[in-house]
Amino acid sequence: MKINTKDLLSGAILILLAVVGYWLNQEHALGNARRMGPGYMPMLTFWILGGLGLAVFLIALFSGPNPLDKWTKLEILAVPLAIAVFFITYFVFDALKLFTGNYYVLGSAMFVGCVVLAVAPGWRPLGLVHAGFALFGLMLEQFGLMLALVGCIVVASLADPDHRPKGVIGMIIFLCALCWWVFIKELDIRVPVWPQFL
Amino acid sequence: MELLLQNLGHGFGVALTIDNLLFALLGCLIGTAIGVLPGIGPVATISLLLPITFGQPATTAIIMLAGIYYGAQYGGSTTAILLNLPGEVSSVVTTLEGYKMARNGRAGAALTIAALGSFFAGTVATILVAASGPLLTSIALSFGPADYFSLMLLGLIISAVLAQGSVLKSIGMVVFGVALGLVGTDVQTGQQRFTFGVPELSDGIGFVSIAMGMFGIAEIILNLERPEARSVLTQKVGSLFLTKEEFRRATPAVLRGTVVGSLLGILPGGGASLASFGSYMMERKVSRGRAQFGNGAIEGVAGPESANNAASQTSFIPLLTLGIPANAVMALMVGALIIQGIQPGPRMVEAQPDLFWGLIASMWIGNLMLLVINLPMIGMWVKLLQVPYKYLYPSILVFCAIGVYSLNNNVFDVYQTVIFGILGYIFSKLRMEPAPLLIGFVLGPMMEEHLRRAMLLSRGDATVFIERPISATMLGIGAVAILAMALPSLRKGKDKALAE
Repeated sequence: MKINTKDLLSGAILILLAVVGYWLNQEHALGNARRMGPGYMPMLTFWILGGLGLAVFLIALFSGPNPLDKWTKLEILAVPLAIAVFFITYFVFDALKLFTGNYYVLGSAMFVGCVVLAVAPGWRPLGLVHAGFALFGLMLEQFGLMLALVGCIVVASLADPDHRPKGVIGMIIFLCALCWWVFIKELDIRVPVWPQFL
Repeated sequence: MELLLQNLGHGFGVALTIDNLLFALLGCLIGTAIGVLPGIGPVATISLLLPITFGQPATTAIIMLAGIYYGAQYGGSTTAILLNLPGEVSSVVTTLEGYKMARNGRAGAALTIAALGSFFAGTVATILVAASGPLLTSIALSFGPADYFSLMLLGLIISAVLAQGSVLKSIGMVVFGVALGLVGTDVQTGQQRFTFGVPELSDGIGFVSIAMGMFGIAEIILNLERPEARSVLTQKVGSLFLTKEEFRRATPAVLRGTVVGSLLGILPGGGASLASFGSYMMERKVSRGRAQFGNGAIEGVAGPESANNAASQTSFIPLLTLGIPANAVMALMVGALIIQGIQPGPRMVEAQPDLFWGLIASMWIGNLMLLVINLPMIGMWVKLLQVPYKYLYPSILVFCAIGVYSLNNNVFDVYQTVIFGILGYIFSKLRMEPAPLLIGFVLGPMMEEHLRRAMLLSRGDATVFIERPISATMLGIGAVAILAMALPSLRKGKDKALAE
């Protein structure tokens, strides 16, 4: 019996998604085959999804070996830590009524979680690219487009160890000018360009 | 015939306006650029540029987006031939013979035949789209809801069967895509489904977020994890002219490639990459120069390059006539049309003649432009490769970020994209293909509507799907496709054909 780990996990993910979806679907009226309610198609979909997941899972028990890439200890540790930090940040900010509105709580939790994930060198590209993206969302409406770009580029640049400060500064100037020209001057999207509190 | 010419004339009238010409050129330029650059493909680029096109009229927007797709097929061959570095998946096989030709000092000839073959194939495919459009549309108008449902189901099955890797996993991804498409307000009862009380989700999950996260951002991270391998151009391009012998050998290959590409492009799940693989396999078996394969046979460049360009255009046929996207790029086109307020489907040819005929005419004009953009300006495109990826990826990232925000001027879309980026990364690590997911996501809501209507009309009797001949045929083909993939020999053949 050779286990195909990649397929085994794929199957498990599909099953998990199906079960969660099926459970969430409980609140919708099913109706019947003739007059389908809002819950009918989701029910069919999640049954099929679960079935496929199970098939993938069972076949994976014999179709290996197909192991995952080796994880270092730090990488193993960083994943649950990042998930925990995400939820703690979310619920603490939510409970304290800090930064309410406009999904600031969600964005901050994502940003902090992704930064924590980047502690492990192997997850650095994954964590920092997403952290930069989330930071852009966090900063955009209060600090304006220019500063949001700076924040996003700086954080995302940390993902590649080849970057040097000079190159990053040059890139920031170039991209700020380019984005201003394309999005503000030419396309005129409605977004604050400079900080709102000044 | 006369009507066709009249319609094409109308199309050229639309395509030749200054605005449309400019945007076709812009699309072709962007397409060539991303075709040359490995690590960013047409799906990511089109989803990146979607928000920018909203300000334009629908026709102009689609003309530009289409230009990106077929422009990428031209650009991808340049680096494949000169640097042994496929810019796109569809150019992978071109490296096999094309790079050998370059090492033999015939890089110029390889580039010329790739461009000329693509142009010829593009012209034929354009005519095919124009001719089959009204024909297929008239057939499609006789489809009932049950037939539509089965047709879409068939499309989903074939797109999963033809995807890389395990068929079961691909079907799983399709179904997950359908499930994601269920989020939002139920059209018939107005009930909110799976929205968790988030008002932004009541219109459904933003498909730009899914496409950008899974194809744009996840791709950036995967590229960052790979060590950068950039070779510099060492070969001389050499004469661009073909010798008589080369021309004689390439011509039948171009013709075969055009036929193979046009057919495989129409298939759901097909498109440019499948077509170039198919054509390469064929040339290796039937062409007169098959003995020279591996040493720079010109047939191995002429065939696949013609095929991928033909396919990138005929894959518009199911979209424009039936409203069914054949691949991930077409799924994005559906999204672009819907955001513009146009429901893709058989009525589009009648209701939007400007869009349909204008797009077809612009495809031909775009191919002509690409010939000029590519051949004399090849040096400029190769220079583009010297931009290191470390400067490229932050640029892609900020364009993604601004683009996704400006969709609804809402930061929720930005955070949504983060989620799909992480999900896309996990999926690609587990070899779960994101392309079938996107097609499922786009088709899911339409399938639900047709399923409900069909079952209402048949009073809850599911046998309607087998009793109607069109529907039964579709389901039959789908069943055969799944069974065929269960045969080990066929599956191995597919894996071999799709292996990079």
